[in-house]
Amino acid sequence: MIWIGNTLVSAGEPGVYGERVLSGHRVWDPYRSKLAALYHLGKGVEITGSTRVLYLGAAHGTTVSHVSDYAEVVYAVEIAPLPMQDLLDVAGRRGNIIPVMADAAHPEEYAPVVEEVDLVFQDVASPLQAEIAIRNRSFLSRDGRFILVVKTRSIDTTARPETVEGEVIRALLPHFTILDSTWLSPFHRDHVAFICKR
Amino acid sequence: MRSYWFGDVDDEGCTRADGDADALAARLASIRIQPGEIIPADWKLAVDCGAARDRADYLGRLREVCMRVARDRVAAGLGGKDTELVRMVLALEEIDESMNQLTERLTDWYRVRHPEAGRKYRPRDSRRVLAAIAGDAEGPVKDLLDGILSLRGIRSRLAAEIGDRAAVLLPNCSALTGGLVAARLMTLAGGVSALARLPASSIQVLGARGALFSHLTRGTPPPKHGIIFQHLRVHNAPRDARGKVARVLAGRLAIAARIDENRGTLDPGFIGEADRLIGAAGGRR
Repeated sequence: MIWIGNTLVSAGEPGVYGERVLSGHRVWDPYRSKLAALYHLGKGVEITGSTRVLYLGAAHGTTVSHVSDYAEVVYAVEIAPLPMQDLLDVAGRRGNIIPVMADAAHPEEYAPVVEEVDLVFQDVASPLQAEIAIRNRSFLSRDGRFILVVKTRSIDTTARPETVEGEVIRALLPHFTILDSTWLSPFHRDHVAFICKR
Repeated sequence: MRSYWFGDVDDEGCTRADGDADALAARLASIRIQPGEIIPADWKLAVDCGAARDRADYLGRLREVCMRVARDRVAAGLGGKDTELVRMVLALEEIDESMNQLTERLTDWYRVRHPEAGRKYRPRDSRRVLAAIAGDAEGPVKDLLDGILSLRGIRSRLAAEIGDRAAVLLPNCSALTGGLVAARLMTLAGGVSALARLPASSIQVLGARGALFSHLTRGTPPPKHGIIFQHLRVHNAPRDARGKVARVLAGRLAIAARIDENRGTLDPGFIGEADRLIGAAGGRR
């Protein structure tokens, strides 16, 4: 990953969503992107020019654009039409983003286009987040990493975030080896990231 | 046999799918895979059967097909007859929220400038408050007041337009609850066909999500009604009959939504019978 001092940046054509530019590099803001927050906390997974990424919950494509600066190819899955409009704009200017308009909870819908990847990054707002991760496990290569960001409030607004974290771990354990779990504070409140392998 | 965007793969090898990006996109839409049987695509197979020259070519072609599919799906997702109505309802709710907030700010502001104003600027009816302030408002107070009054005009025109469109899109639901409530129910459900697929019990509590979840998790009393409370027949029913009226109305709405989705025309016979049932539930004969 590229750092300028304490600032995480990526090397690509600037001006995707009004991001700041530092010495010709695009600043990747940890307060906006959960993946960037993970790198700032020293827990990110290295992405190189040969990394294949499956990104679930691509939204407007802001984080996806940074990932695409580093990776070989990004399969960007998003279900909602309005964010997908923006994502298509981003993908149109970058040759290595493959936009997939489908529901991450139904990976069989995009199995005919997505290949085995080295990194799955999942950031979807759904009470079924753990289940969605399990269903997408087939795309992960043997040595690959699965990063699951969970907004504990979208699973249960009333439960303590730590309780939800425990529930997610219990759901994941039969299917994944959990290497790490990290709270994304101070960058994002009540968000926890699990780094897993199969 | 496993199907991929570039062709079909079986033990014998790979059979390339022919045609341009449009044809491949159409083919992709017809591929069905069982949830438990996901085998990721392999670019080398595509090269083997001549669908791509190398990895770069594979990714380039795949990207073109996927962009096309995504563009079509965005158009389909936004092209529904109900999509614009949903946006209109959401805008209306935002305007209501803003008007209330601004009216409250304006009232507080006015009272600071007129310490003698007292209680008469605190009634619940915002129209009376605004009328009272209009008497001697000037400068920025007057500007803000004009802004609120102009929002009110926007609101009533928007509400009328929503009602008109709902009467076309949801003729039977609109006949039961009025167009505005019908449009709100449709928005909460996520579209006309989503509403038509909801059971009556869900329609009854649409818009009461907070109350429903606190019932499920904490055992508080279940909500009797959500947005359909705004309908006069529920609203004006005696307290002890409200739950019953809401239940019967929701039951009729579930059927009305299905008629709207599948037939799309008003069914006077059904509406007459529904009106009678809902009236009876409220104690009227």
